[in-house]
Amino acid sequence: MIKVRCPICEREMEGERSDWPQFPFCGPRCKTIDLGRWLGGKTYGVPSTRGDQEPGDESDERELP
Amino acid sequence: MTDKVLTDAADSRTTPGVGIDASGENGQANGVLTDEQLAAGLASGKYTPDNVKVFRDTAHIRERPGMYIGDTSFKGLHQLVYELVYNSVDEALAGHCKNIHVKVDAADGSISVSDDGRGIPVDEHPLEKRPTLEVVMTTVGAGAKFDKDTYKVSAGLHGIGAKAVTALSEWVEAEVRRNGRVYVQEYERGKPITPVKERGTSTRTGTRIKFRPDPDVFHDASFDFTTLDSRLRELAFLNKGLRITLTDARVGKEETFKYDGGISEYVQYINKDETGLHPVIYLDKTLEHVRPDGKREYVRVEVAIQYNTTEVERVFCYANNAYNSMGGTHLSGLRRALTSTLKDYGTQAGGFNKVEPIGDDFREGLTAVVSVQLPEPQLEAQTKVRLNNPEVEGLVATAVREFLAEYLEKNPKEAKKIIQKVALAAEAREAASKAKKALRDRKSILSGGGLPGKLMDCTTGDPDESELFLVEGQSAGGSAESGRDRHFQAILPLRGKVLNVEKARPEKFLGNEEICNLISAVGVDIGEDGDLEKLRYGKIVILTDADVDGQHIRTLLLTFFYRQMSKLVEQGHIFVARPPLFKVTQRKTVRYIHNAEDMQRELLQRGLEGTNLTVLPRAADGSRAEGQERTFEGEALDALLKAMKPLEEALQILERRGLNLSVFLSRRSEKGLPTFRVVFHGQEEWFHTADEVDEFRRSKQEQLGRDLVVADEDSGEEGKGNGHANGNGHGVTFSVQELHEVKRINHGLEELRQRGLSEADLLPPPRLAGREPAPRFVLTHGDQRRILPHLRDLMTEVRRLGEKGLTITRFKGLGEMDAEELWETTLDPEKRTLLRVQLDDALKADDMFRTLMGEKVEPRRDFIQEHALDAKDIDLHGA
Repeated sequence: MIKVRCPICEREMEGERSDWPQFPFCGPRCKTIDLGRWLGGKTYGVPSTRGDQEPGDESDERELP
Repeated sequence: MTDKVLTDAADSRTTPGVGIDASGENGQANGVLTDEQLAAGLASGKYTPDNVKVFRDTAHIRERPGMYIGDTSFKGLHQLVYELVYNSVDEALAGHCKNIHVKVDAADGSISVSDDGRGIPVDEHPLEKRPTLEVVMTTVGAGAKFDKDTYKVSAGLHGIGAKAVTALSEWVEAEVRRNGRVYVQEYERGKPITPVKERGTSTRTGTRIKFRPDPDVFHDASFDFTTLDSRLRELAFLNKGLRITLTDARVGKEETFKYDGGISEYVQYINKDETGLHPVIYLDKTLEHVRPDGKREYVRVEVAIQYNTTEVERVFCYANNAYNSMGGTHLSGLRRALTSTLKDYGTQAGGFNKVEPIGDDFREGLTAVVSVQLPEPQLEAQTKVRLNNPEVEGLVATAVREFLAEYLEKNPKEAKKIIQKVALAAEAREAASKAKKALRDRKSILSGGGLPGKLMDCTTGDPDESELFLVEGQSAGGSAESGRDRHFQAILPLRGKVLNVEKARPEKFLGNEEICNLISAVGVDIGEDGDLEKLRYGKIVILTDADVDGQHIRTLLLTFFYRQMSKLVEQGHIFVARPPLFKVTQRKTVRYIHNAEDMQRELLQRGLEGTNLTVLPRAADGSRAEGQERTFEGEALDALLKAMKPLEEALQILERRGLNLSVFLSRRSEKGLPTFRVVFHGQEEWFHTADEVDEFRRSKQEQLGRDLVVADEDSGEEGKGNGHANGNGHGVTFSVQELHEVKRINHGLEELRQRGLSEADLLPPPRLAGREPAPRFVLTHGDQRRILPHLRDLMTEVRRLGEKGLTITRFKGLGEMDAEELWETTLDPEKRTLLRVQLDDALKADDMFRTLMGEKVEPRRDFIQEHALDAKDIDLHGA
């Protein structure tokens, strides 16, 4: 038994895991939107303490502020 | 949806000998008017024998029924009923009829259609010299519908109506109530068999046509309840307020349809199993249109719209009650207006910053009904599949645009939902093309025999023993490369990009290339989840820094696997590596410690060994006092430290609130420290319980003689309500703040008291003029002696003692470890700790990820506050 919310449309998904072939999404469309967000780069981010870099700066500074 | 059949207009136009003015019928007409007919000058506005035009005999209908009612099977059979109903609907449109009743007879399978309209005229037709009723029922092309003054708009345009019914029925009985009397005439197979007979009086008006379809024409002449039901319901939706009753005496079923909301209720009905995003948007407007010949005409435009959560577009179009399966100009007008109005609004509101919606995106999840009533509809083909009047597009577009623009302005909440829906549709479309491209690129990379350039692959090709380390940060990738066992360990360095999304809120992302590399290296096709045959490594190990940032990137990666490759998680292929945070060197031995808590615990433990705390008596003014000194050591000191830890945390929260500790502690009474801070008219008051707060508020209210406006905790600074007017224009005079940490402080103070200590021991001693205060706490370890100004320094000092003889290195990132250290601590299967990620863990990561992304603003704030605490904890002195 599972009970989760689709990460994209927030629809409640209940029942057996096999009822939801696109788990953890409610359907292929939401899965595609999610993949698009990963591939789009700038949607899925997490907070970073290393904030003193210029936008787009790819250098990987290891120093803490 | 039931089809109506368009009678061939050309047929009547080319028939010679037509165009005679005739008297009124209850709304039958056929085809298109010729100039002669128009010129014939029909008496206007009245429904009298003069308005009906007689065209020709019904014999032709019996010869070629398909030409009039489409076919002689199921559809055509029901078409007969609809033709009669349309006539009644026309009476309704003209404002003379409110009820229509369709009744299937139980005994003989006949059916009747009755209305409470004006009743078909029965007086003699001036040209035909027969009763008008007879002309209407038997003569093709005779009908008031040719006269636009009788019916400005008509439902059945095809005008064969009653004649087709008469011609194709074994028998017909027409009953008219008019002029206070009841008239009846009977027909058989198109021909009258009785004169129009008077049959008593009646106080009401109306027409009832009862007929039995001719079994010679219809092989199966039985009516279907469900079919009638759905078309009659549809007609009731399209004609708001009109009551249509369907009775099937054969099975004892009856349904009544009456919708005062018209097509607005129709849309609700269509969406009954869906979740609507907003209440139905409904407009009903009559617009003036000037024809090229200068004549004015009026077009009624009715539109009902509701978006739902699905992706399906369901739009139904009607012209003069006829369903247009292929749409037409009313549909294009609606679409044009929806697209332009929503696009303008959404762009202005900033809802389309990340996407570029196209027409289709505005139609996902759209349920709409558009119904137009116009004097001269141009319909395509016999089946009326499309409305072609060019002027209708502009009229519908204008009406919808004006109405919708105003609606959006007035209903920002609903507007936002619609805009979000459109944006999601656009995103889905754009995402699909991105995903397609990524998949294509990946395939081309793989078919080229290459893997991502950054991947440092292992030599074994056996997924059962191979491991892929996903290492965030390039320098870390470097030490991982030289530290690994290249036989079975592969390294894919990932580099997050840091962007300042908002000022002072930097965020880290994995770019398109990183994600594509990740997918390629893992080897599993996206979109084909479940097919793990191509998985290149049995273990996929996430390796990030041991700090908060590393934890965030780990969350990000876990979320990616959970969402896009959940099978990998479910089948236990995803792992998290645990690199150490500290390296501890003691003489020649080296140890690694994985987290700050363990490090703290160890330092405290070491610091406690052979250490004692002496508490000297001291007077409140800081001078030396008489009394016994006491000593804490061993377990007693450990217990004191354990009591201090939660107390210290709570005190830090208090200080972060900007409260002065010494002032606050002075508020202690026999009930402990107060938990509630109340600000009333800028005056601060403190209370221990909610009841006390309530009592205070009541007494103030009584004093003032009015209710106090209580500040909203979210508005402005917490607890600093200070009498400034809020948005409602009321003065905020009263604010309450509950300090939850006080409970822990009270508990902590109790612990101190049990040890003969007090809140004063948490504060720096008061300075006597020119003199150092007498020492209160002395920490002794061997020959070292240290005076502590207050108890809050105890933990730090004990830890400092614990550091003696140790060299502690804190790894700020993986890159600070050399290859050997990384192998020793993290990569070597003999020594490392790998955590296998369970679905539950991944689900939690997903939750955390949503929080981190700020989708939920509140939890994110909480999270950061919690972490502010952690960060403080982790920042060990000297560690």
